[in-house]
Amino acid sequence: MTDTLVATSRTAGRWKARDVWCAAAGIVSLALAVGAASTVSVPVNSDLGLVAVLPYPFWAGVLILNVAFVIALRGDAGGPARRPVMIWLIAVLVLMLFGTAAFATDIPRGEIAFRHLGIADALSGTHGIDPSIDGYFNWPGFFALLATVLQATGLDPVSLALWAPVFNMGLWLIALAVVTGYLTRDPRRRWLALWLFCLGNWQDQDYLSPQAFGFFLHLVVIALLLGPLAARAPVFRGFRPADLAAWWRGRSPAEPRTGYRVGALVMALLLIVVISASHQLTPFMALIAITALTLSGRVWPSRLPLITIVVLTLWLAYPASAYLSGHPPLADAGLEAATEANVLDRVRGADGHVLVVQVRAILTLVLWGLAAAGAVRDWRRGRLDIRVVLLALTPLLLFPAQVYGGEMLIRVSLFALPFIALQAGSILLPADRSKLTLDESKHSLDESKHSLDESKHSLDESKRSMDGSKRRSYLAAGGLALACTLLAVMTVTGRFGNARYDVFTDDEITAVAAAQRLAPTGSALISAAHPTPWRSQGYLEHRYRTMDDLCRSDLSTAKCGPVVYDYARHSPGGAVVLFTRSSEASLVLQGFTSEAGFAELEKWLSTHNGVELVYSNADARAYRVTP
Amino acid sequence: MNGVSRPTLALGVSAVVLSLVTLLGLPTPLQAVAAIAILVLLPGHALSRLTQVSDVALRALLVLALGLAVLTAVSMAMFYLAVWSWQACVITMGVITVLACLARARQEAS
Repeated sequence: MTDTLVATSRTAGRWKARDVWCAAAGIVSLALAVGAASTVSVPVNSDLGLVAVLPYPFWAGVLILNVAFVIALRGDAGGPARRPVMIWLIAVLVLMLFGTAAFATDIPRGEIAFRHLGIADALSGTHGIDPSIDGYFNWPGFFALLATVLQATGLDPVSLALWAPVFNMGLWLIALAVVTGYLTRDPRRRWLALWLFCLGNWQDQDYLSPQAFGFFLHLVVIALLLGPLAARAPVFRGFRPADLAAWWRGRSPAEPRTGYRVGALVMALLLIVVISASHQLTPFMALIAITALTLSGRVWPSRLPLITIVVLTLWLAYPASAYLSGHPPLADAGLEAATEANVLDRVRGADGHVLVVQVRAILTLVLWGLAAAGAVRDWRRGRLDIRVVLLALTPLLLFPAQVYGGEMLIRVSLFALPFIALQAGSILLPADRSKLTLDESKHSLDESKHSLDESKHSLDESKRSMDGSKRRSYLAAGGLALACTLLAVMTVTGRFGNARYDVFTDDEITAVAAAQRLAPTGSALISAAHPTPWRSQGYLEHRYRTMDDLCRSDLSTAKCGPVVYDYARHSPGGAVVLFTRSSEASLVLQGFTSEAGFAELEKWLSTHNGVELVYSNADARAYRVTP
Repeated sequence: MNGVSRPTLALGVSAVVLSLVTLLGLPTPLQAVAAIAILVLLPGHALSRLTQVSDVALRALLVLALGLAVLTAVSMAMFYLAVWSWQACVITMGVITVLACLARARQEAS
């Protein structure tokens, strides 16, 4: 095991025709993708989501971009293409994969970004934090930041939410570029890790959220641990206490400047505090990563895990105590519960929806499989980096600790992804050897030419060897381009697989605004299901409920109808009940009800005393229920 | 200001000017640029210069991370103290930037 993977060469040199062509291919790809995505009409009427309605020029753009990237990555004997070209290609990939929906519609996808805007709006209005409101007000860091940025900049909140995935991916990639710089000096491996990180990022956690912000800060903490706070560990002798003690004492700081190390430690502590104040899960992921790296002898300040535990405990004990008193952290712990919530409950619904879920699982398994193969390969070559392995595997420790609304596996795969991508690059980059062979063959050919008079036979052999190496090299590059293209298709399928119900129409937005306007302050707003693009304003003015929450997912008219009706009638100020196209699609696609069942429930409610249709358009109806 | 580098001086002066400009208000796109500069980029840059970070990529990352982290901490503290306003945040971040520049100036002078 070694500290860093083997380097090939730096990205430097003059502009070459290949670089210009690759950059131009990026422009063409982007034009094709943007042009194609902007022709998609909303609503998306496919159970497979965007992947089924994106026209073929989009996929042509994806193919061209991946081929251009592989050509740029191969570069020549001096290394990959110039840095600006590589950055440009990655920027295009980010725009294509993470901005696709923004080119198709000017409404942010999903419900949660709207809710987060509403929390920031509520904070701006109240100028204070009341932890008893809900869990978000127990971890208000990100929302405080969002409130300040929105008010000071005057930016349109909806536009900010629309482009947040692209912005967050940019932040993550900057952090990941620094992290991979400490893990390998091989520029090809670094660029490929960034590329695979984008291609494997189906988790859709990059929207305007504390998770996205926390993940960025988490990566910065990792960068500090691997950089200025790193330690050099001596050779590991064994697990006998004396050997362990000698190994631990033999560590030395990788950074010789004490002042720099102290500064980096202060910065890491600040980031840990902000992470702890901003998101429930991320500080635990950070704690696990810090502890694993420290115990492996690769972090110099050995008390950092302890300090992190103190910060985390203090936050949970004081600012977050209101939430924790009603939600014990380990209440739903256990492997069985986690497996049921994260895996079994998700694989159901319409055929198209199940296929999308399966594609997500396959994509994750493919990347983990490639990473495992890469790890074995590196281990055999004696260059496996234990830090990469630890950072890839340790997020799994949190899987049985919390169900996390059935999303723990998604978060685990996100936190592992940067290091899975880096390790997967080890198996996807056989070009090292084949290129080397090619270069050696060229060298051999040159030498043979010089000694032509001496041995014509040697020249022929070298030519044959070079032809064979060229063929292998081209095949490897073609295979890599094909693999990357397939991963891109799977990522688009996974990311935008819920587009039928998480891409909203203008009519739905208008209906939600009307419902919020028509509902008296203090009354309840009831939507059929998540996602509903509500709560971006008036977060504290209403009680927001969904029928699938009220009815505990039994949406049959006989059981759910009376529950919803009673809740609405007995709410102070009454209620406004909202039926939208997206909430219907969500329930039908996930197998909670059928279109006929949904219509029956709405009809049952609409014919009861005190229920009156107050707003309707093509995609939504709002009913006022008087108390 | 013997011994104080031009970048430090420029950073401090920029913080004061941009704070005032942001508070007075600008047309929408300019207001966004000025506000992001004074709230995130300038404080992040000033604080990262206090460390001896020599790696360009890490420094660029720290400018963003420190700027965002400090703004989060400042905004959140103001909310908990019930004294939050975006103007107060702008002033505080401007003051933090100037103080970081003064600390840097002391480092440079010594």
